[in-house]
Amino acid sequence: MVNSMHPTGTLIWYYYICPREVWLMSRQLTPWQENPFIEIGRLLSEEAYKRERKEIHLENIVIDLLKTEGENVVIGEVKKSSRFEKSARMQLAFYLWRLKQLGIEATGQLLFPKEKKKIIVTLTKELKAELIEAQAQIKEIIKMEIPPQAQKTKFCSKCGYQEFCWS
Amino acid sequence: MKRTIYIFSDGELKRKGNTLYFETEEGKKYIPVENTSELFIFGEVSINKRLLEFLTESEIIMHFFNYYGYYVGSYYPRQHLNSGYMILKQAEHYLDPSKRLILARKFVEGAVENIKKVLAYYKNRGKQLEKYIQKIESISQSLQSCKDTEGLMAIEGNIREQYYYAFDRILDNEHFIFEGRTRRPPKNRLNALISFANSILYTVCLSEIYHTHLDPRIGFLHTTNFRRFSLNLDVAEVFKPIIADRVIFTLVNKGIIKPQHFEQKLDGIVLNEKGREVFVREMDERLKATFEHRGLGRHVSYRQLIRLELYKIEKHLIGDEEYRPFITSW
Ligand code: SF4
Repeated sequence: MVNSMHPTGTLIWYYYICPREVWLMSRQLTPWQENPFIEIGRLLSEEAYKRERKEIHLENIVIDLLKTEGENVVIGEVKKSSRFEKSARMQLAFYLWRLKQLGIEATGQLLFPKEKKKIIVTLTKELKAELIEAQAQIKEIIKMEIPPQAQKTKFCSKCGYQEFCWS
Repeated sequence: MKRTIYIFSDGELKRKGNTLYFETEEGKKYIPVENTSELFIFGEVSINKRLLEFLTESEIIMHFFNYYGYYVGSYYPRQHLNSGYMILKQAEHYLDPSKRLILARKFVEGAVENIKKVLAYYKNRGKQLEKYIQKIESISQSLQSCKDTEGLMAIEGNIREQYYYAFDRILDNEHFIFEGRTRRPPKNRLNALISFANSILYTVCLSEIYHTHLDPRIGFLHTTNFRRFSLNLDVAEVFKPIIADRVIFTLVNKGIIKPQHFEQKLDGIVLNEKGREVFVREMDERLKATFEHRGLGRHVSYRQLIRLELYKIEKHLIGDEEYRPFITSW
């Protein structure tokens, strides 16, 4: 049931937050965001890094191309907070891998302007293995007849499914 | 929190730039769409297609009431949340008689439990209600053995009749006497209030369904006839005692609603414009009132509570968690 609406990169993002979210997303059960401020992250990124900004389009997703230094391509993402660091790192690693399959060697940068923090992501063997495992797990989750049970984590309070899961 | 806009005056409602614009003989008014979730139209209001397109874009639902305050219909924009999976599950639970009966029974159980809570509350405040409580208790015995939705509806009807007779003790007001349930048109003031309260609650439930993946046309207790909305009627059963009826008690007991808020119309009695305004204002207050929700660990309003109930129904349908209707704790 993986389809074009939820490309793997997005599912990888959700997978590292909550498997239940992956399942719900796979059924198009998108949460209703009454509060538009939850998704404000994108706007913030545009302000902070406007000058260097160029874009790469991959799987309906736009990744920021930060620099090209000779042969070396640096892609990156700007995030509001490091709360979802693991998700962000794995998603970026996934894009590095996809680029590599297209013949582009790149490194990644995660930028957290508010926290003045920068994380460099390179596609290592370990990361690749982890991604392969994650993809297999995502497939398993989506195949499940019923969703994985809700479990309270630090992510619930900022999750669009909060009201759904804890009603 | 987005707001509900109630329009009682006559005029023209249109799109102006990125806002809603309402013009009457007395003046103009801009209504920002960002914090509007729904519109209730009571006045004679003209609209055009451009407005409907704008409402669709802005995910705003619009309900119409006629001159007598009867519900006419809703403009239900193309669903903005869409899950084929959920619709299939909803249909599955409708088509399978045993699955349907499970959900239908839950709605009635929720309604009856909340009715009992209301009666217990007023009994503790010294109202003579034992007789009604006992009768309701004995009628509800047969709920478990009931084998079809018609039977459930009949039992609920009987319970509700006893409950409405209990209103006479709760209200203790010579101007508001029950005398049996009458609809279309209601024959007395209390019946006019009950009818109006219910129709507002039905539309509020419909508005909340709009913001879920559920299809309002597939109800479980109320038989769907594939034309009318029915899931909102089901969900409203659970909330009538604690939302709609509470508003009636408040308005009558505090003397806010009075005989002059009604008028003789056709062959019955309806609320007049002033009366509807008074009612709707109190109802809006009630829907905005909040209380602590254990599962979420924060305060939610009664309106949010309705949405949470819909989420619980969704979870039941996808096999995540069996639905347990909301029962008030007071
Ligand atoms: S609310 Fe919590 S359990 Fe539910 S999907 Fe979000 S993170 Fe997962």
